[in-house]
Amino acid sequence: MDVITDHLGEFGDGLLLTAELTLLALAGALAAGIIVAAMRVSPVRVLRAAGMAYVEVLQNIPLLVWLVIAVFGLPEIGVIAGLFTTSAVVIALYQGAYTAEAIRSGINAVPAGQGEAARALGLTFVQSLRLVVLPQALRTVVQPLGNIAIMTLMNTALAAAVGVVELTAAANRVNLAEAQPIWIFVTAGLAYMALSAVFGLVTGGLERKLAILR
Amino acid sequence: MIMVRTPAGMRRAAVAAVAALSLTGLAACSGGDSGSAVPGSGGGKTDDLAASAPVASNLPAGSTMEKIKKRGELIVGGSLDAPLLSQQNPATKKVEGLDADFGRLLAKYIIGEPKVKIVNSASETREALLSNGTVDVVLQTYSITPERAEQVAFAGPYYSSGLVVATKKDETGIKAPADLKGRTVIAGANTPAIPAIKKAAPDAKILTFGSDPECVQALKQGRGDAYVQDQAILLATAKQDPSIKIQGEPFTSDPYGIGLKHGDTQMKQFVNDWLKKIEASGLWAKTWKNSIGTVVEGDAPQPPAIGSAKGSE
Repeated sequence: MDVITDHLGEFGDGLLLTAELTLLALAGALAAGIIVAAMRVSPVRVLRAAGMAYVEVLQNIPLLVWLVIAVFGLPEIGVIAGLFTTSAVVIALYQGAYTAEAIRSGINAVPAGQGEAARALGLTFVQSLRLVVLPQALRTVVQPLGNIAIMTLMNTALAAAVGVVELTAAANRVNLAEAQPIWIFVTAGLAYMALSAVFGLVTGGLERKLAILR
Repeated sequence: MIMVRTPAGMRRAAVAAVAALSLTGLAACSGGDSGSAVPGSGGGKTDDLAASAPVASNLPAGSTMEKIKKRGELIVGGSLDAPLLSQQNPATKKVEGLDADFGRLLAKYIIGEPKVKIVNSASETREALLSNGTVDVVLQTYSITPERAEQVAFAGPYYSSGLVVATKKDETGIKAPADLKGRTVIAGANTPAIPAIKKAAPDAKILTFGSDPECVQALKQGRGDAYVQDQAILLATAKQDPSIKIQGEPFTSDPYGIGLKHGDTQMKQFVNDWLKKIEASGLWAKTWKNSIGTVVEGDAPQPPAIGSAKGSE
């Protein structure tokens, strides 16, 4: 157990970075998801196509490949940003594709009469989406969004491969010095479990609070 | 007006177009590294090495060595991607390099034939693979440390390497490890370079990447001022890539050991005897010439004394 207590600082720094990366990526993913979902249900054909292209390109290439492309490929064309920034943006855009699909399924769950009524009242597309459809859609997809949040948390571990010293990379470094992989990685695993348990609790609470009984 | 559903045919066509686009993008990106596939591969001469290698006269009954001989192959924990040390040649599928050669020579000594199966191990898994018997030995630039020696037995050291500092060719401010102070330094994840940099320049910012090509790429793209890595690996890189320069001599001494199951003193003694034998006969120097010697000028160095490293006593 000394292995863990001797390196609490490293584990703490890693955990903090994992939490920061997760929260930033989630905020970005939610924004990207809402925009892309709105594009995919919009009446403008070009927007629908662009939204679909976004989802298909992002979902059909593994996140690790995206990270490596962004970290080592972008500097080749003159775009160089910090490793943390690059990772946060890439994870946000990637998870944004999944978020968009979850939100779109929520939009499809809203009865068609709601949209028709909004239009009958004279609301524009954006108004009806913002005031009538999205509030109902988001409430129905709290649970899938919670799953995406947990998936985002787990996916931040891939940033370790491109030099971000988050929890997994921190555990790796401690193990390098101590050669006690079982204790060290079990500890890292427990920390991930604790974080995802928080997400699970928040999701459960939100769901109970927001659910609409139809 | 809202829930618009795209016809399935059009959707499929668009997916295909998008997939094709992203593929061309990937192909364009992968061009840069192709030159570093097989640096300084010695090749060819390994069979000569094994042909003249000694075979143990008798194996103690019930020993680990006897079990290996009965099985007919030596299971080695190693790498397939370490240039000059243990790298699989994509053309011949043969694993080449110093560690790979030593594995074959040890197999010949035990079994009578250089039959080796390499299990790809990682620095996180080596101790576990040895203790649960998945591999017989680990030959993977396995630095001997007292912490590791609590979990595995080390025969050797069979080779002593060290860390060197590499920079871009036009860098003039970094001549010695102390010059890394306050700089951003790139290192391979899970390599002894990380503690060594912390010791030489405590306030240096350390940036780690998973593989050697990634570290080199990051150095070239200016993500860090210097790259600290094992001399053998960096020599191969610097020889290939004229934009990279090695600054000075190794600043650490890094003894590599052959990892064995903890507590197997019989096998440790056996492997140490074998090392002494091949060092005395000149086979050790030939093996060095066949791999690292292809990029380093001059004669083979003196092998480190068996049991000299802390943790290998």
